[in-house]
Amino acid sequence: MSAEPTGAPGSPGSEAEARLAGELAGQVAGMFGRSLHIRTIDTGSCAACESEIRLLVAPHYDLHRLGFFFTPAPRHADLLLVTGPGVRAMDTAVAKTFAAMPDPKVVVATGACALGGVYAENGFVHGAVDRVLPVDVYVPGCPPSPLALLHGLLVAVGRLREKVSALEFADPVEGPS
Amino acid sequence: MTFWFWRGLRRGVVTTSYPAALDRWTATLPTPPTFFPDLLTTALVDRLSALCPAGALERQGSEMTYDVGACTACGRCLVAAGAAARPSGELELAATARRQLVKRVPIRAGPA
Repeated sequence: MSAEPTGAPGSPGSEAEARLAGELAGQVAGMFGRSLHIRTIDTGSCAACESEIRLLVAPHYDLHRLGFFFTPAPRHADLLLVTGPGVRAMDTAVAKTFAAMPDPKVVVATGACALGGVYAENGFVHGAVDRVLPVDVYVPGCPPSPLALLHGLLVAVGRLREKVSALEFADPVEGPS
Repeated sequence: MTFWFWRGLRRGVVTTSYPAALDRWTATLPTPPTFFPDLLTTALVDRLSALCPAGALERQGSEMTYDVGACTACGRCLVAAGAAARPSGELELAATARRQLVKRVPIRAGPA
């Protein structure tokens, strides 16, 4: 890509810059719109939610046609799908997983356990996922059906777009060391 | 399961058309209940609150709070409430704030 010379406002240089910036923004939006990677984490679920999540990639629902993919690596993930009531034994794993995910990231709490419906807070569980993570989308159900999960993911994409548009495409200015 | 098998044989496509449209078979999925305020009495709401294993139903004065997020769609309230409740058939329940999942249903004034 050839660099255009920077010019005064209204000059051909600034117009070229504006056009390039627009193209870049379109590419970023296009990339996130077409492909989003999901990392799941189980914080004490009975595995019914996992069973429904697994069905999302079956031919009946075919999650991939919508550009969603599961990834085992939190560093490649845009979305964290959390199930279970948040057992305290998973605190470190949950915190490390969330910290390892690059921004922008979205947390989706899945199922009645994760939403605080089944277990009360006690010495073993937090009772709800939003007590340990900043949850962006809540998906009710026990377990939520694959279609309910799909709807939750689509809601999450809207949230992600908000977060993407809120990002500044510039490095923070640092003073001389 | 046979539904999907025959649909696949007939159309060659087994994938649901969601999110473009909801398939008709989704009406048979267990969904949280909808309550009819005209038939909800104080006594019935107290009974439903005691029945609910998830603590999703609670009476607060002249209203019943229904926490859809906590509901496990077990169906106990549907059996006990009779005509006052029916399955909502609603699948698209995801929310961006937890409070959006707490519904307030007015209770009918007067004797049961």
